[in-house]
Amino acid sequence: MNLKISALEYVQEVQNGNISAEDFVSKTLEQIQTVDDKLHAFLSVNEKAIEQAKLIDKKIKSGDKVGSCFGMPISIKDNLCIKDNITTCASKMLEHFVAPYDATVITKLKQEDAIFVGKVNLDEFAMGLSTEFSAFGPSKNPWNTEYVPGGSSGGSAVSVSAFECVASLGSDTGGSVRNPASFCSVVGYKPTYGLISRYGLISYANSIEQIGPLTRTVKDSAFMLNLISGLDANDNTTIDNKNEDYLSGIDSGIEGKKIGIITEMLGDGVDPSVLSATKDAISKLESLGAICEEISIDMIKYSVAAYYTITATEAGSNLARYDNLRYGYEFPVEGYEFNSYISKARQKFGPEVTRRMIIGGFVPSAGHAGKYFLKAMKVKSKLTKEINEAFKKFDLLIAPTVPILPFKIGEKINDPVSLFLIDINTVTANLTGKPAVSIPYAISNGLPIGIQLFANSNQDKLLLQAAYALEQTVKLPEVPI
Amino acid sequence: MVTEEEITHVSKLMKIDVDDHTEYIDKVQAMINYFDILDSAGVESEEISMQEIPISNLREDEYIPFDEKLIEKLNNYKGTYVRAPKMS
Repeated sequence: MNLKISALEYVQEVQNGNISAEDFVSKTLEQIQTVDDKLHAFLSVNEKAIEQAKLIDKKIKSGDKVGSCFGMPISIKDNLCIKDNITTCASKMLEHFVAPYDATVITKLKQEDAIFVGKVNLDEFAMGLSTEFSAFGPSKNPWNTEYVPGGSSGGSAVSVSAFECVASLGSDTGGSVRNPASFCSVVGYKPTYGLISRYGLISYANSIEQIGPLTRTVKDSAFMLNLISGLDANDNTTIDNKNEDYLSGIDSGIEGKKIGIITEMLGDGVDPSVLSATKDAISKLESLGAICEEISIDMIKYSVAAYYTITATEAGSNLARYDNLRYGYEFPVEGYEFNSYISKARQKFGPEVTRRMIIGGFVPSAGHAGKYFLKAMKVKSKLTKEINEAFKKFDLLIAPTVPILPFKIGEKINDPVSLFLIDINTVTANLTGKPAVSIPYAISNGLPIGIQLFANSNQDKLLLQAAYALEQTVKLPEVPI
Repeated sequence: MVTEEEITHVSKLMKIDVDDHTEYIDKVQAMINYFDILDSAGVESEEISMQEIPISNLREDEYIPFDEKLIEKLNNYKGTYVRAPKMS
């Protein structure tokens, strides 16, 4: 049984009767058992997965209508609610929280007969870019287990990379799908803001975050997008994509497309191997008929500060609900005064969440909002204008997904500002609502490098076509697990 | 520059116990000090653009029944009320 196949190959194989959902899911669970002690991608595994796969096989045999996933094993970031399943957000605060309903993306995938093999690791409440802030310990990069897998959707990227599932869903607030995709050599897709409903995604910074797929191939991301995008009455920020088929015409090529090379994302602090991979990708795109030119976007210098100011503010408000009276753990209220009870209960938050809550209280507060929050919002507005201007001239933009290679676990954990700056190439897509994708491109000293492409809002189809064209130029070694 | 006193004050307002000086005060201070870069962005005259959602995009304002009693899932639900700590 070959667990290394893509999602589309899986569907084909099951449809052709070459494999059964039960066999594939069983082998996937065996793989999890074999490698996950070492990699720690999973926070929980679905004990009923094989039973569910048997039911799908039965439907196939009896000729009943089967959803387009045909029992495909998918992992789900543990900040997405699956009804009656524990959803921890990798936090001690929600260690025993049982979700009372399904997220919209889960409902859609259930209708398509996907099988959720388990919930995967993240930085606590998705705040981080290495999974080192998970309350349950970090995930490890399958390319070298001494290194971080990126984050916050680190468990998602590891599980796809290490063949513990065929595809995964993550969430991307400032690069949380694309960063781990780049670090683990898988495809990570952050759609246009509003393309995928966030109903049932535990909120961190609603004004910019999106759910996105992590897959082995660009086509698989397009396939997943077909299944989970579209309007949802439960998320009023969703947009009507008129049931766009992102797979059709994905091989249209990029002949004549104009691509802007963002100079601010290739400046100081970019690792030489990342720089050289990016230059190589640009020349490949040119050889496919694209026209590449440099473009400067001034506000990118301020984007990380604006991003952290805005997200901390929204986190401060969103996480205020964790007072342990509504959600939380066993901790009797008797003997405590109101404020001291909540303060005591919140000690279950890990250090990064606590820090961001303090910042989230500070930057929008009276006397400080003008210097921090309002200025950050103005940077966001100006950045959006600059990016919109860029898209008048270019069809796509290009930059490395992350300016550096994966780093060692523990290497940067005590330097919050240097961790911030790793987000410099990814936050722009979130602040401006544009779609962006990370495509596995190179391996340097045994560590992966991803290339990022951006498109204008609602140009997801064009973006996937370009990503597919670039992907076809690459042949990478297999992950050494 | 943000001061230690300001951070401690806000932590109290956010109902957060700051029990580890290095983890919270020092790191938060470094993080907020980094935001000083926003002062050089020259965006003072910039308008803040807001996301607009047409009313037609909102769902009907009607009661949608839920199949379970969600209140029973609350931590300190006591049958007819939620037990909270006393206010001082």
